[in-house]
This record gives sequence, C-alpha cells and structure tokens, in this order.
Amino acid sequence: MDEAELTPRLAAYIAGRMPEARDVAVSDMNRITGGASRQTWRFTCAWTDGEGRRRSRGFILRRDPADSLIDTERRVEFEAYRAFHGSAVPVPEMLWLEEGDEALGSPFFVAEEIAGFQAGTGALFAPPYVDTLPELGRRKWTILGEIAKADPARIGLADVLPAVAPDACWSRELDHWEGVLDSDETEPLPIIRAAIRWLRANPPPPAQKVGVVHGDYRTGNFLYDAAGGIHGILDWEMCHLGDPLEDLGWSFNPVWSFGQGKPGGLLPREAAIAAWEAASGLRAEPQALKWWELFACVKGQAIWVSSARAWMDGANRDPILVYPAWALINAQDRAALKVMGRL
Amino acid sequence: MKPSAPQVLADLAGLSMRNAAPDVAPAARAGQLGLAALLLGLAAEMWDGAADILVRENAALRALLADGAALSEDGARRRWLSELSAGGDGGLRISDLEAANAELKVALIALHAELERRSDEAARDLEARVWDELARSTERRKLSGSPC
Repeated sequence: MDEAELTPRLAAYIAGRMPEARDVAVSDMNRITGGASRQTWRFTCAWTDGEGRRRSRGFILRRDPADSLIDTERRVEFEAYRAFHGSAVPVPEMLWLEEGDEALGSPFFVAEEIAGFQAGTGALFAPPYVDTLPELGRRKWTILGEIAKADPARIGLADVLPAVAPDACWSRELDHWEGVLDSDETEPLPIIRAAIRWLRANPPPPAQKVGVVHGDYRTGNFLYDAAGGIHGILDWEMCHLGDPLEDLGWSFNPVWSFGQGKPGGLLPREAAIAAWEAASGLRAEPQALKWWELFACVKGQAIWVSSARAWMDGANRDPILVYPAWALINAQDRAALKVMGRL
Repeated sequence: MKPSAPQVLADLAGLSMRNAAPDVAPAARAGQLGLAALLLGLAAEMWDGAADILVRENAALRALLADGAALSEDGARRRWLSELSAGGDGGLRISDLEAANAELKVALIALHAELERRSDEAARDLEARVWDELARSTERRKLSGSPC
C-alpha cells in the first residue's frame, strides 16, 4: 500500500479515534527510509477541534511490512514507548495502536513526531555534531543506565513482557537467536558457530537484576542535536526483560563503531561503562560483559542472515534487506573474532 | 554473496525503472535511489574479487580438511573429510564456487568442534590453523567501508 492509498485510510482512522474532531486531513506523507523491521512514515494531520479552531500536528506511522527483518509483536514496541514516556528516558508519545489488518492492511501504531533532530548516522561525524560526540556518548550511556535502572513492574512492563529468571536470561536469548540462525542461515557460519560453542561452555553469572532490555540500543536509534543532547530513544521492537548487560554488550558491538574505533563511534569504552554504571547503579563485570558482547555478535549475525533469507525467499523484496546481508555479515564475523581475541 | 548479485541487480534495474516515472514522490525517489546506489557500489566492489576469494578459500579449507582427515578420531568423519578434501570446485561460476564453499564449511564446523574438545598437541595446532584461516577469510572478504 503506497502513500496515495494510505492517506485517505489513515485520515478516516484518525477521525474515528478523535470523535471531537471534524474535517480530519492527512498530508505530507513521506516514507522514512532505512527501517527494515517496520515501515515508517512522517505525516501531518490537521483537524478542527470542538471549539472550531483549526489545528495540525506532526505524527509518525509505524506499520508492519509483509515480512520484516525482526519479527516482533508491535504491542511490545508500543507498550515499551508508553512505559518510558515522561521518564528520564526520552521517548515520543504513543497515540494509537491497531493490531488488526482492517484499517491499513496490516498492524500499525501512530505516535507524535519529535521534529527538528537528527536520527541517522550520516551527519554525526561531521561539523557541527562531531564537536560534541563525547557529550552525546555520555548521554547515550547514561540513558541506557536509566533503562537498566527502571523497575519493569513499576512502569507496567512486567505485565506485557515475558518473565525470565536471573539465571536464565542468557540461555533464553542464546536459544532464541541460535534458532533464528538454524532456520534462516543462507550459508554456513563457522565463526559464529564457534562463538555459540564458547558461549554455551562459558555461561555468564546470573543477572544482577532482571530489567528492561531495549534490544537494539545503538548509535542511529536515537534523535540527537548539535549540543550532544538526546531527545528520543527509538526502535523498541526487540524490547524484552533480561540482563541489563545485554544492552551494554549490544551497544559495544564493533559493527556500530562506524569506523571510529570506539563504541558507537562516540566514547572510549571505559567512559561509556562509567556513565552506564553511574546511572544504573549496576556493575559491568568484565567477564560477564565479554559474554554479552560476544552474544551481541551472534544476535547481530542472526538478524543479518534473516534479512537475506526474507529477501531470497521472496517474502519481502525491499532492497533495504540486502544491505545488512552484503555489508555486515563479514563485518560481524570480524567483530566476533575481535571479541574472542582471534583478530 | 547472498542474496546473489544477479538477483539483486535485476531487482535494482526494476526499481530504477519504476523511479524513472514522473509521478514518484521526490522523497521516496531519493530514498530508493540512494539505497540502490549504495547496493550498486557494494556489488561493484565485490564483483571483481568474488571468484578469486572463493577459489583461494576453498583451497585453504581443503588443506585443513585433509589434515583433519588424518587427525580425526571419528571414522565416519575421517572418510567425509578425506572425500571433501580430495574434491574440486566443479566450475568457476560464483554459484558453483559458493556451493562448494558451503559444503567445505559444514565440514570445517564439525572438525573445529572436535578439535576444541581435544587437548593433544596435534589437535591444538590444527585448531590454531583453523582460527588463522577463519581470520584470513574475513580479511579477504573485507569491504572498503567495513565498520570493523
């Protein structure tokens, strides 16, 4: 369904959700490229309110594609955003969730647009943003510490996300992503299979706490400004309960270093850990963190091969699915070798 | 190179044709053609070296499997490794080389796992050579814009 088809159906849907509004109109609908797990559009909605005033607001539509890079329930993503809205973790406000296909042909949600900030990494390593990378890095890992510190029950996520015992966090995640590799692998992966054998032979200690794990916390998944500020943490579709070190390990995945030689391309490793520990009140024990860093390589590879599989099977021929398969599989192998001290 | 370059290039040709139509929204056209350009650049970089990389890698894997065949403590595995190490690539098409490569890597994974379980010096030495070859294979395949 393209913009021309979506626009009137979306306007009709919003009109149904805002019964006090009249003359609801959707315009300027633009697909935001780059999303491989959800299709994302930015659009403007205008309406006349109950007092006769004409109003407009920028919204975001996140809609499920035919086959995505990451298979998750959109309710998980929606509830994760809702749980953190108004907290020390900046996120956009969620407005409506639709889990059926009737309105727009597939499930979707609508959120407020946080406008005026950068999200992509293309601009990050050039002026004016390059001058404030250390501050941006400190904010990035401080916010991640805030996510780790959150009590899932108090913010309502314990009712939404499956529970896990502290000593089972690692095995649940490894079982899941090894299963994805088993089903979607397009060619044998000797480095990642060796990494999985090492992970199973050297399990980490039980999690210090079972917390909220964002699941894809990396440079490129937040809105930032030129002063080193962060205004929205995005892409919560892989959010789950687990060991908070999982997010820290994922954020250190070398494929997210953008050739800068430091985590996220932003901050020396020690400074990132210090910011996370200070905000979370948890400790990043080096051996446990190493386990989660290597796990991040396995998870990353599973996601990249899944994108190749979805494209090759014809379930989704969006060319965005080819990019990780071509550009990241070998890089992820190299990252695993580095974590294992083999490169 | 999965998905295969011919399939991807064919899809990109179709995408370019669709975006040549005058009624495509500028933002959508920019996004799609930008991504297409990125993929074309990757294909161009991988194209020239693809066969050379696979031929060299398959030869290196056969050498490891031959040594593994002499060392393995599992009779069936010894025969499997021996057969594979004596084989050839069956052609110089990328698809033929990749099929042979996949078969060799399945065997390498089994050999590697056996070597890890053993503590004798010969197994340790061969395991170190397996790791060296795995590292070299990522060097051969490394792209200019690789993040690591």
